Amino acid sequence: MIALYHGGPAGHSGSVLVMLAEKGVEYEDRRLDLGRFEQHDEAFLALNPEGMVPVLVVDGRPLTETAYILHYLEERFPEPRLDGANPRDRYRTHWWDKYVEGHLAPALAIVAGSRGAPAVAAAGVTRLTPERRALWIKALEGGFSADEISGAQTTLGRAVDQFERALDETAWLNGETFGMADILAFPHAERLGDLSDVPPGARTLAWLEAVRKRPSVATVLAQRGRETAFALGPEAPRWG
Amino acid sequence: MLEVYTWEPNANSGKPLLCLKEKQVEFTYHYIDMGKREQHSEDYKKINPQGTIPTVVHDGFVMTESTPANEYIDDAFDGPSLRPPDPFWRWRMRQVMRYMDNIVCPALAMVASNQLAPPNFLKMSEEERRRELDKIPTPERRKTWEMLMFNTTPRSDIEESKRRIEVAIKRFDALLKETPYLAGEEFSLADVDVMATFYGLPLNNAFEVDAEATPHLWHWLKRCHARPGIQAAFGLGRGFITKRAAEVREALGVETVAAETVA
Repeated sequence: MIALYHGGPAGHSGSVLVMLAEKGVEYEDRRLDLGRFEQHDEAFLALNPEGMVPVLVVDGRPLTETAYILHYLEERFPEPRLDGANPRDRYRTHWWDKYVEGHLAPALAIVAGSRGAPAVAAAGVTRLTPERRALWIKALEGGFSADEISGAQTTLGRAVDQFERALDETAWLNGETFGMADILAFPHAERLGDLSDVPPGARTLAWLEAVRKRPSVATVLAQRGRETAFALGPEAPRWG
Repeated sequence: MLEVYTWEPNANSGKPLLCLKEKQVEFTYHYIDMGKREQHSEDYKKINPQGTIPTVVHDGFVMTESTPANEYIDDAFDGPSLRPPDPFWRWRMRQVMRYMDNIVCPALAMVASNQLAPPNFLKMSEEERRRELDKIPTPERRKTWEMLMFNTTPRSDIEESKRRIEVAIKRFDALLKETPYLAGEEFSLADVDVMATFYGLPLNNAFEVDAEATPHLWHWLKRCHARPGIQAAFGLGRGFITKRAAEVREALGVETVAAETVA
């Protein structure tokens, strides 16, 4: 049995919802209210002590880390193939996994966090792992330094270039066909327009539109309401 | 043609070397001397503009991220499979690699480089250090090197890194209580990753790793150090790392099977 604990059709959760739609997999839908910080409730922390969605529970085993949940689904349900047509395209998929989680998502989290996190987030923060607790406290207290914020903007500016270069090389992020790198990067890339000082380029905007038209993505996006809860992404790299 | 541009069989530099020796794939090893900061040289930046090591190049396809490059090697070449066939264990393998990449390796790199590097840099004039710094292409890495060169890494950051390494040692010991390798019954890329960074722990006095405190990790270190592929990879170094690996084998009571290998 497969159950998905998620925060709705955006961010990391959005990627897993799209992947499940692509694969036509049936699952139990367990949406958490991130606005009320249900991801910090003890019941959820038993599944993921870091208090982060999404978590895919398969036969009682909780799987975390969005990129690797996507790989799990790809390997367990191989049709349609989404991890790339050949080893080079599959390398690109793994490259984007690392880039999104290691650079893009943390930089977006810092910029979004510096614009003010909702005070209610304090709920349950003490129950988190030390790394996550420290990051939340920073966001709550407006504690991202000017240095961290400008560093995050540098990362976002380079991400804007990275997307343009990649989409110049291949039609989609991991090759000539739509795939997992697109599914993983899309919910983050669509925030660049709002959060990055350097606006996304023409190829990136065209790619975002093409991704939105994909039936699986359109179905997931149609479930979006107007309210979006603040979600804190992964920690930024601590040592280059 | 498969080419690897890297330093010693150590940490990220060592990951493709350990992987290729385990996979038994032939490759050309281009030694990049990190002691001379050759990774920041103009020649090397033509291959990898970010100035990071390792870089793996297969028939012109340039790969600059070591974890994805190891997945590529296992995917593109024949030889013993280094990824478990079962999707759950493959998830576990990647989870361990992510934890290494994001949490453990940066923590260990911070602790180790702050022990080793600042004394050397403090001998150089400020002007000379600024010149070296200007060669580093990315702002994130420049910031890290600046802290090293001027010995300004906050103590609290180093303490936090030590705490993270201690947690990692306990976590791996717990995983290895379940299965002989980090992602199940067989050796995988997760073991490559952790070995490349943790191979020397039995001789590292800073952390408690021994047969009593961390029995499962200890036996895993013995199993990994006994592997011909791992021994061959550690044999590729030019000095300290290769000697260190031999000393670790001795401390673990592991026999050396592969004397020398082709580079």
